[in-house]
Amino acid sequence: MVSRTLSHTVLALIVFVWIVPFVALVTTSLRSEIASKTSGFWTAFTPTELGHRFSTHDKGQEMEVIELTGNIFDRLNDEDNSFPVSGNVKSIFIKRRVQDPENPDKTKLIRKLVPPGEPMVVRGGSFVFQANGDFIWTFPEKTLPKPKKLDAFINQDAVFGTKAYVEVLFEDKQVPNALISSFIVTIPATIIPITIAAFAAYAFSWMQFPGRDWLFILIVCLMVVPTQLAFLPILKGFSGIASWATALNHWFTNCEVTSSCQVASKSFATLWVTHTAFGLPLAIYLLRNYIVGLPRELLQSARIDGANHLQIFVKIIVPLSVPALASYSIFQFLWVWNDLIVALYIGPFDNTDLVFPIRLEKQLGTFGDQLHLLNASAVISMIVPVIVFLSMQRYFIRGLLAGSVKGG
Amino acid sequence: MKKILTAVTFAASITALVSGSAQADVCDTPSKLGDMGSFPGEVITISGSLMERDEEMMTNTLSCFEKATGAVIKYSGSRDFAALIVADLRSNNAPNIAIFPQPGLAGDMAKEGHLVPLGDDLAAWMTENYGAGSSWVDLGTYANASGKKDFYGFAYKMDLKSLVWYSPEQFEDNGYEIPSTMEELIALSDQMVSDGNTPWCIGVESGNATGWTATDWMEDLMLRTTSPENYDRWVSNDLPFNSPEVLNAMEVYGQFSRNDDYVAGGAAAVATTSFGDAPKGLFSSPASCMMHRQASFIPAFFPKKGEEVASGEADFFYFPPYASANLGNPVLGAGTLWTMTKESPATRAFFKFMSEASAHEAWMQQGTFLTAHKGADLSAYATPALRKQGEILSNATTFRFDASDLMPGAIGAGAFWSEMTNFANGQDAQTTADNIQAAWDAIK
Repeated sequence: MVSRTLSHTVLALIVFVWIVPFVALVTTSLRSEIASKTSGFWTAFTPTELGHRFSTHDKGQEMEVIELTGNIFDRLNDEDNSFPVSGNVKSIFIKRRVQDPENPDKTKLIRKLVPPGEPMVVRGGSFVFQANGDFIWTFPEKTLPKPKKLDAFINQDAVFGTKAYVEVLFEDKQVPNALISSFIVTIPATIIPITIAAFAAYAFSWMQFPGRDWLFILIVCLMVVPTQLAFLPILKGFSGIASWATALNHWFTNCEVTSSCQVASKSFATLWVTHTAFGLPLAIYLLRNYIVGLPRELLQSARIDGANHLQIFVKIIVPLSVPALASYSIFQFLWVWNDLIVALYIGPFDNTDLVFPIRLEKQLGTFGDQLHLLNASAVISMIVPVIVFLSMQRYFIRGLLAGSVKGG
Repeated sequence: MKKILTAVTFAASITALVSGSAQADVCDTPSKLGDMGSFPGEVITISGSLMERDEEMMTNTLSCFEKATGAVIKYSGSRDFAALIVADLRSNNAPNIAIFPQPGLAGDMAKEGHLVPLGDDLAAWMTENYGAGSSWVDLGTYANASGKKDFYGFAYKMDLKSLVWYSPEQFEDNGYEIPSTMEELIALSDQMVSDGNTPWCIGVESGNATGWTATDWMEDLMLRTTSPENYDRWVSNDLPFNSPEVLNAMEVYGQFSRNDDYVAGGAAAVATTSFGDAPKGLFSSPASCMMHRQASFIPAFFPKKGEEVASGEADFFYFPPYASANLGNPVLGAGTLWTMTKESPATRAFFKFMSEASAHEAWMQQGTFLTAHKGADLSAYATPALRKQGEILSNATTFRFDASDLMPGAIGAGAFWSEMTNFANGQDAQTTADNIQAAWDAIK
């Protein structure tokens, strides 16, 4: 009983730790840029006191007045109302230089927090504001007041908005574009290696040929080759193939070598090939361990019934291996979907062809000042893997066990 | 500091948007574009580190070349430019043009034989037509594998560093005047302190480039405390880092940055404040500081992304020299270097395009672009703020490049940064200078 409570507590703790960053990300993506930069996400749900700078009126108001009225909240929301500020004004911070009473030659700076209802001197007029934001600015005679910026401390209500999402998804086409590019890369880069690996795994488990085990060990060893080490040789190879393909293209179609028949050495296809190559060792290893554990009797009876290898593979092995295939495809899908470095070095570089992780990186801006957009994009980029995972999770758990529990 | 170069004046990029400069007719410039030849359908590939608004404005500018010649320009920009370009060049995947933010890396690539010389004609043209032309040519001249020096890097799009940003409204409220000498600037800072305000926002944190803001301060102060010749000797380490001249500049920087009364958050905050967050103190409510010394690109980091400059909420003045030192008006700056990495007739024509005044004006009209091209019409600058920066650039009696960009990578993007960060954390000037000099001796 005690151990059960303990394990539940530990589990709850782990879930909490995992969920906090996600909640933080989603919350931040729904807050205004200024709020998310000045206060933590946990302050987003309750009223918080924040400083706001507002100007009393717009520039170029050509009217002589004795009394100027307005509302601080209206002024603040006038410029940008995607995250309307509401609440009550606690105080206004005022600074002014006056004659120093002790030293007539010098001036002195006055700094003061003025509460609602108390008049203060602003540009020769008397400025009074209320907690609800209304203010009256009266002058001794008719004047044409210059706009004045004041610092107001506002106990601000919680406010959320979808501005960042709208901006990311609709105002600039690059994020939707990147989503499509990511699918163009990810789907073939998942299907191709899994198809090849399934055939190879069958061969390694149920076909007899010389050197089979040594070959298998070699492939397992290939799993440890780091992608990063291979970039230069791979790129060299692709550029060789590309120039060869360009020449061939030129030969057949008689196009201008310099422009139209140039075959790019970095493209979606090179990404598919690279991801396939680096995904295969693990895929073969995983699937082979699963397929080798399928009941021998099943295959033998198929043999007796006259089935050849291809028929056995298609009609028996594939349907029985769905859990393993699904769990591997989740692995591969997530890896390719989240991959930045391979796409950066080997993928296409046209702006319209960039995959999602590169777009996210670019969204940071040259100097990392687009964080509010990045949050929204990051949430969008998470949705796809979550859908993939949820839709295939029942296979995933069975598939995870597949490698360890043998026999049947 | 290298990072700065990549950034370049985001500043008025947004102000250009605000003032509504029409993107459609950027190619309609005061100067007329000459004949560029005809290259229908030819592709020119360009790699660089300019992104977002910078990339957009660059693409607009380059479209003028596309229109004139029929060539197609494909640009790819990445934060990881420095790593990617090395892989691309070494694996025969070179783009036609690479835009280097760091002269150091461009020099390395020239040495490996990956760059194509731009030719003496272009070098002669630049000497003639750029303000301080010969120093720009020097910046783009490197030795190849056999040690032969050639002109490889075409400086285009410049950055001005000797600027102090402030909020005019704050200055008005507090009754402060713009200082015109360093003595006045220090007196003003003291007055701010006695008024209960904090004069400076300084932040040097910048991820793995932490410290570059401090090196910029140092360089600006070197130019204000000692002769330009000494500055050049300092860059080549003929003047050691721990010599009295350099130590003096560091002490002067320390008087600003290590003074708890001078810096928002106290001197201890300097090393941990992000350089991009530092200027936000000017606009916070209430303002946490009165002044911020930073390059022309910094308005991009203001809360409204630089709109403040157009609306008059933010302005800048020239980081003044000491009246007593008599060193004229020194200006610190930088620029991106455009190199040819794969030759083609269209690419050659493109470099000719970059020497046209019209190519400079097209970008000037959009904002965030400063040029040393003497033939470019100053009226093309998108905003008064940019024009003012252009004037500072042309009024300079001394122009010097960012020293940390010129120093070897291990110093300029290594020891200099990290030791200046240690300096911000309380290490004394002598130890700091000795450590940098030791690092330099180690790579000789």
